[in-house]
Amino acid sequence: MSALRVLIADDHDVVRKGLKMLIEEHAGWQVCGEARSGREAVEKCGLLNPDVLVIDVSMPDLNGLEATKQLRKACPRTEVLVITHHDSDEIAAEVMEAGARGYVLKSDSDTDLVRAVEALSHHKPFFTSRVTEMFLANRGSRVTDPVEMMRGRLTAREREILQLIAEGKTAKEVATILGIATKTSDTHRTNIMRKLDVHSVAELVRYAIRNKVVEP
Amino acid sequence: MTSTRVLLSDDHSFMRRGLRTILEADERFEVCGEAGDGSETLELATQLVPDILIMDISMSPPNGLEVAAELREALPQTKILMITMHDSEEMLRAAAAVGVSGYLLKSDAEELLLVALEHLESGERFVSPAFDPNLAQQLFT
Repeated sequence: MSALRVLIADDHDVVRKGLKMLIEEHAGWQVCGEARSGREAVEKCGLLNPDVLVIDVSMPDLNGLEATKQLRKACPRTEVLVITHHDSDEIAAEVMEAGARGYVLKSDSDTDLVRAVEALSHHKPFFTSRVTEMFLANRGSRVTDPVEMMRGRLTAREREILQLIAEGKTAKEVATILGIATKTSDTHRTNIMRKLDVHSVAELVRYAIRNKVVEP
Repeated sequence: MTSTRVLLSDDHSFMRRGLRTILEADERFEVCGEAGDGSETLELATQLVPDILIMDISMSPPNGLEVAAELREALPQTKILMITMHDSEEMLRAAAAVGVSGYLLKSDAEELLLVALEHLESGERFVSPAFDPNLAQQLFT
């Protein structure tokens, strides 16, 4: 039987080291690559075609959620396991909507992570009991926030650009990173601001932080 | 020579695992325990009396700063190394105020953890190079 190949994406070297140890302790599993940002994760998934991607939500450049969305199309056979320190119902729902099959909190145990990778390797979904409890506790009480509804109207590309702008990138830098024209990047920004009904970059950044597109 | 006994405190298990891996590769250090929240840290620190406590700031209450303040009184001989994602000056000041001996960022932990521990062992302070050295010197003297 060939080894299960896992790609690890987290911007903290120490966390990647911990994850790598955990995974490689398991017979028949190997870490085929590591990424420090969402964009690097997308790139390396395309190149290495891992069985499972273990990815952190909060990362610079392209966050884990947006990376997951891109990967569902680009690498449909790779199962995505999201790890995060945000134990909020909202994030959990977004993780699932992005197309990840598993969700583990950083405070969950090592055993939970191993069980999650195991489940995903058989193409089965996995949630730790804490995540399940969180879902059940909040079911039916989700608030329909107008800002959130608005956010749903942003395209994947627009959310990607929103994150880059919130990280302080100029229109020109955004264009270079994404390989598009500066004018196109400007147009995207105008559209994002119109959809979110914000009128300055500062407001845009505040929106991005409040909705955890970037970390404060 | 006996090794330095280190207690790890972080609510993220993968972070603890990464720290443990680095420490276990170095015979000068021995991980004597792991705590996943503030109250567990207080309990284990009191029970184990480690030489060094490596602790996160953001933890379910009491947080790392509160735990540090309490341990400064109870266990003055245990040195505390804060390890956190907070790179703001206000957090560094708060940590200095509760008497920790070192302040490291999670982003430079892999590279600098052992360096920081060596400093603490020899009675010196250690602050992440991400901060202004003058400020660090002023706060940690």
